Amino acid sequence: MSRMASFMQWIDDRFPATKVWNEHLAEYYAPKNFNFWYFFGSLALLVLVNQILTGIWLTMNYNPSGEQAYASVEFIMRDVDWGWLLRYMHSTGASAFFVVVYLHMFRALIYGSFRKPRELVWLFGMIIFVLLMAEAFMGYLLPWGNMSYWGAQVIINLFSAVPYVGDDLTQWIRGDYIISGATLNRFFALHVVALPMALLLMVFLHIVALHKVGSNNPDGIEIKKYKDENGIPLDGIPFHPYYTVKDIVGVAVFLFFFCLIIFFAPDMGGFFLEPPNFTPADPLKTPAHIAPVWYFTPFYSILRAVPDQQLGVVAMAASLIVLFFLPWLDRSKVKSIRYKHWSFKVWLAIFVVSFIILGYLGMKGPTPMRTLVAQICTVYYFAFFFLMPWWSQWGETKPVPERVTH
Amino acid sequence: MRKLLIKLAACLSFSLFSATAMAAEAGLTLPNDKLPRLSGDYLEVSMQRGMQIYVNNCLGCHALAFHRYERSATDLGIPTDVMMENMIFSDDKIGDLMTNNMNAKAAANWFGAAPPDLSVVARARGTKWLYNYFRGFYVDDSRPYGVNNSVFKDVGMPHVLEEMQGLQAKTDQVKNLENEISYAQADMANAKKQLEEGGNSSALNKTIREAEAVISEAETKLTEISEAGKYFEIVKEGQLSPQEFDDAMRDLTYFLEYVGEPIKRDRERLGVWVLLFITFFGFVAYLLKKEYWKDIH
Repeated sequence: MSRMASFMQWIDDRFPATKVWNEHLAEYYAPKNFNFWYFFGSLALLVLVNQILTGIWLTMNYNPSGEQAYASVEFIMRDVDWGWLLRYMHSTGASAFFVVVYLHMFRALIYGSFRKPRELVWLFGMIIFVLLMAEAFMGYLLPWGNMSYWGAQVIINLFSAVPYVGDDLTQWIRGDYIISGATLNRFFALHVVALPMALLLMVFLHIVALHKVGSNNPDGIEIKKYKDENGIPLDGIPFHPYYTVKDIVGVAVFLFFFCLIIFFAPDMGGFFLEPPNFTPADPLKTPAHIAPVWYFTPFYSILRAVPDQQLGVVAMAASLIVLFFLPWLDRSKVKSIRYKHWSFKVWLAIFVVSFIILGYLGMKGPTPMRTLVAQICTVYYFAFFFLMPWWSQWGETKPVPERVTH
Repeated sequence: MRKLLIKLAACLSFSLFSATAMAAEAGLTLPNDKLPRLSGDYLEVSMQRGMQIYVNNCLGCHALAFHRYERSATDLGIPTDVMMENMIFSDDKIGDLMTNNMNAKAAANWFGAAPPDLSVVARARGTKWLYNYFRGFYVDDSRPYGVNNSVFKDVGMPHVLEEMQGLQAKTDQVKNLENEISYAQADMANAKKQLEEGGNSSALNKTIREAEAVISEAETKLTEISEAGKYFEIVKEGQLSPQEFDDAMRDLTYFLEYVGEPIKRDRERLGVWVLLFITFFGFVAYLLKKEYWKDIH
């Protein structure tokens, strides 16, 4: 036995290193027909690592106090070596996270990746999505710009819609009668310690659950049905090296666009870093138009579409909660869009368009016409999910192949 | 189904259209000229001159509290001794932040609001806004300092650069058009109020439409006048000609853009190399993937 092998043996006798490596990479068999949509899981992991690493280094120079927060961000931008790069990687990373996560979720939607036996994969993923929203929201307060301040004001006030305890609840969240240094301190603690730990745990569970049931694929069929004499799926290939080398190509393409933004348009024309946030937080000066960052705007639109504030909050919460039930709402005989009835494509296309319109309207100030459009899109958003048990059974499905195609 | 789609499309285009209506509600601000583009050495010289204008005229009230003299010296190619002799008037050292001794409380008393720090103003307001704001001071006897600003209405700031620019006033034609607009707006507001109170809707709607037409026509004319450079006329000569003053304000804007994000030029230079590397890396990664996947296909 070579020296390296005996060293590994020594480790394996005490810790299942080789076993874990094999189970999750070298002998984890993934369907061989993954397409473009299957890059976004590994990219989400990449962005998570990016956020954690840049976050750690930002924390070294950031000062979470009402007096110093804003100045310390500018200090990072100017006086810390490569501080500007860390900050832009982190701020662009936040938006990139939502881009890849939305695409990752869309993939699940079109290929039915949440269907039995992957319900828990989807549920863990949904918890990650909600945690990510909380993480992004709290992180957005930290630069202590005026939009940070007023954005947080609007969102925290949503909790006042809770009957009886609403006002006490918002005060408990803020730790003060208004948003202040106390709020900033606790958001900092949650943003850099509590939520990242919860996120890491959920990502771990998401992957463990996935590797238990195995990956879905664009045909929406189970590759474990046909195995060779060694028990290896005939249509499966080891994740490592095949998908590791493939995902590296995806990483390169992603990094190209990521760096294009970081180096040439870090504020993305006001979408990623909003202009009012270059003015310090001021409790006495409300920005002319308060809009959340783009990744929250579809849900914000749903909130505003409902004339009654309390019901609006309920609608917004419902628009997130309904996503958790997706595995039980889809009753189609087949999983993948490839074999579903054509009506699925129509329902889905209108859903995508409504979601984008809601996102767009959430960035704009309301007018009667815009509110009407938002209401139509909101109704459709809920109809898509609530009526899914019925419409997903409409029409003839196409015959599903036994083995994966390309 | 199709009808629903058509309706949706109609609503959508309507809401997009009303985006322009919203912009108009916020009010037309003139002048609205583009910031002249500069690059390379011209840009660097422009920033240097902008800094000179800034430290001589602005820094007394508006600090750049996040920015250091030394950073400007390095980034804008100004030798340290030249910087020390010509740009730093207090006993500040070259490595110090560009602060001032303005007492915020007293200043709020003098001007209505304490002059804000301008370190990142270019990122908050945008360079085009700054360029027009600097050129937007005009005579208005109703204001405490005798001037108003056409881009930032009723600003508390006096016309600090009067010595350079002289004084300008809105031309009679501009004043007449703006009066027309404010009358039409009053008519419109009045009609809308009556409409809410249940007045004759066809007649009132007609009034509103007419007022809208008057406003949009007058605004088009004003924009044309401003584009032709005839929005203001000089009523008192300054040290600089109008063209020289515009150039100076362009330089001041470029300096503030630089201070807003000192790393900007460097990151763009660096970005090209980063993208080239990623392209190369992606190419190699693609070849590697192809090699491995030979046995799958």
